[in-house]
Amino acid sequence: MKYSCLIFLILNGTAFAESRLYFNQFLGHVHKNASNDSSSLTIVQCSHSVSILKSKNSSPGWYYVQVGEDKGYIQKEYLSEKRPECLQGKYPKYYLELGLDISDMYYWGKLNDHFIHGVTKIK
Amino acid sequence: MRYILLTLFMIPLSFAQINLSQEEKEQEIIDYSNIKNVLKNDGLADKPSQAKKIVKEIKEKRKEVNLKRFQYPDKDDFWFLSSQYYLVKKAQELRWEFPKPEYGIGVAFKQLLEKFGYYNKTFDVMIVNTPNVAHFGLPGGKDHYFFILSLPFMRSLDLTKVDIALLLLEDFFRVEAGYFEKNLKLDLSFIGTNFYEKKIDPKLMENILSAYDKVIMKTGFNFQQQYELTKKMDAQLKSEPELWSVYFKLYGKLERFMKSDLLYKNYLKIYPSPELQINWLSPKKSVI
Repeated sequence: MKYSCLIFLILNGTAFAESRLYFNQFLGHVHKNASNDSSSLTIVQCSHSVSILKSKNSSPGWYYVQVGEDKGYIQKEYLSEKRPECLQGKYPKYYLELGLDISDMYYWGKLNDHFIHGVTKIK
Repeated sequence: MRYILLTLFMIPLSFAQINLSQEEKEQEIIDYSNIKNVLKNDGLADKPSQAKKIVKEIKEKRKEVNLKRFQYPDKDDFWFLSSQYYLVKKAQELRWEFPKPEYGIGVAFKQLLEKFGYYNKTFDVMIVNTPNVAHFGLPGGKDHYFFILSLPFMRSLDLTKVDIALLLLEDFFRVEAGYFEKNLKLDLSFIGTNFYEKKIDPKLMENILSAYDKVIMKTGFNFQQQYELTKKMDAQLKSEPELWSVYFKLYGKLERFMKSDLLYKNYLKIYPSPELQINWLSPKKSVI
């Protein structure tokens, strides 16, 4: 009975952990919905490990993730399988010199949400 | 009786003999040359010196790792961080955090760059909701470029995607030519150096920010730089007459607009001057 209840909860639940990936941008946000304009649940730093959850409402280009207590969305291109080399780790003392407060970190994380990003092809 | 006395005399002697032999044994065990020989035979003689060597190596490695922590960013990372730092610190003033529709600017600019053979270039355009900065290119490290583009500016001039892409191409060439870095007038000799056991200038970030602000908002580019840029655009666009024509018309539009709209009076300080640029672009009339 106990086990059947547990299985029921897992199957009926909206999400369960599939794998773990690393955030590969300098700073970013976990969004409430799969949209750059949706509100931020929390800020993530480069190299932060996030749990990938399976969601019923999968959105192309986005992962449903869990960071700490928060469950939300991160763009797929911002997550990688290998731990990335981060500027925070490369220049830790200089990074401290930037003196970023919570508001700065929020805006830095928002940069990628608002940039019109482009890469020209490699010939 | 004689035997008893002899026995009593012999007992301490025998004890003394035992003690002596024990000392001798100990002497033998402590004999360093003996230990040395044993260690040598067992191949353990080099162990202490090897351990010392390893400890020394660990210490050196640790020192090296610690030194690296005090490294200023290299050139590419410095521009990548500084340009983004500027956008972050000026977020409220530039007003870039607002929902934006898909303008198609990214695709238009990408195609333009590729048309002229600028491959493997990464760009990030930030649309801002202020007329204070019309358009501006910032360095972002090797093959990386940041652009600021004003929504009110685009709307006021009713710019097309091609117009915008051409203005971004101008900004791209300015970054490529290193005008912005030169005009910052900052001592950047610290880039890529180490500040271990040195005092970092507490106003470093403040100075970088104000230097960026000065060039973007007040001083911009000089006539010589504008002349070189216009000639570069002229040469580049000549191979695409349609684009050249759009570019030339764009400057006519810009010149008329800047004279009439006081909101953009600062534009002429940043990019002097559309009037002269039209002259530089105009084909020379040959006198027969």
